[in-house]
Amino acid sequence: MIKVNTEDYPWHSGMTVRNLLDEKLFTFRHIIVRINGKYVPEEDYEHFTIRDGDDVIVLHLIAGG
Amino acid sequence: MKVLTHKQELCTGCLDCEVACSQTYFKTSDRTYSAIRIIENNKTYRARKCTQCGECINMCTANAIYRDRNGVVRIDKKKCVGCLGCVGYCSELVMFYADDQEVPFKCIACNVCSKACPTGALEVLVSQVKEI
Amino acid sequence: MGTILKEYKYTPAKIVHGYSGKSLYINLSDLRIEEKVVTEFMKEKFTGGKGFDLWYLWNAVTPETRWNSPENEIVMSVGPLGGITQYSGTGKTLVASISPLTDIPIDSNAGGYFGPLLKFSGWDAFEIQGKAEKDIIIFIDGNNGLIEIKEAEEYPEDSHVLAEQLTREYAEDEDDMVNVSVVSSGSAAKHSLMGLLNFSFYDPRRKTVRFKQAARGGLGTILRDKKIKALVVKYKGITPNLNNAADLATINKVGVKYHKQMHDLDSKQNKMRQIGTANTVMIMSQYDLLPTRNFQTGGDPEVVKIAPEVFINEWLTQGLHDGCWYGCTMACAKCADHFLLTSGPYAGERVTVDGPEYECVAGLGANLGIFDPQAILEENFYCDTYGIDLISYATTVAFIMECYEREQIGPDHTGGLELRFGNASASLELMHQMSRGEGFGKLAGLGIRKLKKIFVEEFGADADLLEDIGMEVKGLEYAEYAHKESLAQQGGFALATKGPQHDEAWLIFMDMVNKQIPTFEDKANALYYFPMFRTWFGLVGLCKLPWNDIVPSDNYKTSEPAKVPEHVQNYVDIFNAVTGEDIDKDDLILQSERVYQFQRVFSVRMGKGERKDDYPPYRSLGPVSAEEYLSRKELYDKQLRDFQGLDPEKMSLDEKIAKLRAYREDQYEQLMDAVYRRRGWTMNGIPTPERLKEIGMDLPMLLEVVEPKQ
Repeated sequence: MIKVNTEDYPWHSGMTVRNLLDEKLFTFRHIIVRINGKYVPEEDYEHFTIRDGDDVIVLHLIAGG
Repeated sequence: MKVLTHKQELCTGCLDCEVACSQTYFKTSDRTYSAIRIIENNKTYRARKCTQCGECINMCTANAIYRDRNGVVRIDKKKCVGCLGCVGYCSELVMFYADDQEVPFKCIACNVCSKACPTGALEVLVSQVKEI
Repeated sequence: MGTILKEYKYTPAKIVHGYSGKSLYINLSDLRIEEKVVTEFMKEKFTGGKGFDLWYLWNAVTPETRWNSPENEIVMSVGPLGGITQYSGTGKTLVASISPLTDIPIDSNAGGYFGPLLKFSGWDAFEIQGKAEKDIIIFIDGNNGLIEIKEAEEYPEDSHVLAEQLTREYAEDEDDMVNVSVVSSGSAAKHSLMGLLNFSFYDPRRKTVRFKQAARGGLGTILRDKKIKALVVKYKGITPNLNNAADLATINKVGVKYHKQMHDLDSKQNKMRQIGTANTVMIMSQYDLLPTRNFQTGGDPEVVKIAPEVFINEWLTQGLHDGCWYGCTMACAKCADHFLLTSGPYAGERVTVDGPEYECVAGLGANLGIFDPQAILEENFYCDTYGIDLISYATTVAFIMECYEREQIGPDHTGGLELRFGNASASLELMHQMSRGEGFGKLAGLGIRKLKKIFVEEFGADADLLEDIGMEVKGLEYAEYAHKESLAQQGGFALATKGPQHDEAWLIFMDMVNKQIPTFEDKANALYYFPMFRTWFGLVGLCKLPWNDIVPSDNYKTSEPAKVPEHVQNYVDIFNAVTGEDIDKDDLILQSERVYQFQRVFSVRMGKGERKDDYPPYRSLGPVSAEEYLSRKELYDKQLRDFQGLDPEKMSLDEKIAKLRAYREDQYEQLMDAVYRRRGWTMNGIPTPERLKEIGMDLPMLLEVVEPKQ
């Protein structure tokens, strides 16, 4: 189990940031990802693996509309 | 199409071109009024000046930029409202402005700097290609 | 053409630090034209723009004034930063009046050239009171200091014809056309309560007149009730510093930095230059936020047919400059050129369609179940030229279509129009009826609040159901975002002073996706900061989009990325550079709050600014119907378990819907309490005298309204 934006989310072995974004349908272009408080740059999404118990924040950067 | 060219191997970095440009158009030797800027990097000299690519023409918010008969990109001072959009939008960073001037300025391939250049590093070429 | 009824000569005031210091007053009942002085008191308390509008409006009306009372005014003002050319989005005109839909002050804003040209003609604000006997045009010549009121019976009504004709009439030649701007409405405005104002600007590349709209709240209806066909302003000679800014060098520096950001980042971020605000349609659908079939669901598989790429590749002209005022490099005012109309009085003509913007694709498309880009563009065109607010229209027709589908109304009521979801030709015919003032179209133009009453009382519809699915608060129709799963946004809409428009707050991602504001206090803080911050754009004459439709590449490193701190600082710097003042980002919020609280008290004074007026229809809060519940069954079942300790397996669907409703309605009550506290209001939603004193707004006129209600 991991946390995604403060809520529990099932973890699986080998899960990359990209896998998580795809599963959650986080398609918005304008996001930033922090894992355990540390910023993960976009170019690392494909190979950065999430570990069990990680605290993942996916911030959607718009307060617009 | 007329465009100013610069041969790095001949340039000594004397900046006579900048002074010639700013003197001709703004009666000052202050290089921030020059439409050509010589940049030094490790004793070699690169020139920043307009390539006449015309990217600024369609983005101009006042429809004030056009290409003249010689293919040179020019600003119509009567239409320009000084928004400086073209300054931010120039990929080559060669659209310049000064706070006491109403409109931005750029190289119009006029030959003043090349005549002032003591080593022949600058030359206005007339290319066969009319549009890029 | 047209007899001159009145001529007035004036000396255009010179603008100093963003203000001309003068405002123009015209009374159409007795053709009186006067100049007023813009006082230091007004600048201190109201800043400009919407602040000046509301101040003049307050002084013009009484609690008994309604939209069509002669003393009601249309007031417009551009604000002290309006008209500067060096930053993006600086040409906004703010308009206010007492709304025919809500009976309280409405404010709406538009791009286009009118506001800046009005200010450069010497006027910080423009009040129009009274009613003319016959159709008239008001012309302001800012170069020669001349105002004319002339008869206009002969002129056409629809904006795309009228504004083109007037622009040609008042311009000396082709080059002069950019110096003319027209405010007009259209043929449907006088037959409906949702008439809009079109603000024109001439596009020298396309050689056509283009429009931006002050759409919300029925301003066009009021314009036509006053028998105004058009307002025309002409000012020639735009130069970089007509505002006589205190510090032009700073404005230049900040402007160039911003233009460079647009150049470097827009194609990687929101593609505003390619598609404008409609860039978010697919995203909204993917996040379950695109209102579909009257806000029942948040998206649809068919949305791909109206995705941004479809409009970019097949409909919208690319590569031309599309700013609605000089210096806007965001240039989001896209358009479809040479569009062939297939219905209505202009069928067979090729026209330029301004848009579509996000609200258009979401409202006239998904929310009506219409997934056809060509139909959406045709609806877009006719709404604009007929002078209909497409948001109120779309939300109203979505409501009508659901009533029709649920057999609350039928063909006997609609004159045979099959107003089912997805029927684009029926929607277009409804618009044409509205323009002619005929049939069911005329009825539809009354808006949801009045239709609910008619459908129940005259057509025998189910009152409770209509209350639940009619998406209006205070009489104004909702803007186009599905938001059931974001409590903060439920408040963002229903607690908005003028009615449910998202220009006060758009918190859906912060709340629903990012979970950044979990507690009531967090949400209340957001529902304090964002409405205050966003009010400020309307005080100074700026567009909101350049604030956060592009962000600096290092924005993510900041402590509060949602606020886009670098751009907030740009605004502080530009305000100081124009006015010569020395404000910081907290003063900016204070400037806003003065006007925000003033507007709330104004609504209270007009009889509609209390807790009872801040309740949304249940469709905003949760699933009304079985289909809606089932569309998100997993989520709703989980909420019953997690938040209420219930076992959904042991409950009928009706029970589940009822329990969820009780929970969500209670959550909304708690949100209201928290927001009222944060905004310094009583639990009945009335600003307290203490709060007004803290922000320097304990004016006797306001205390007189709020004190008896404490």
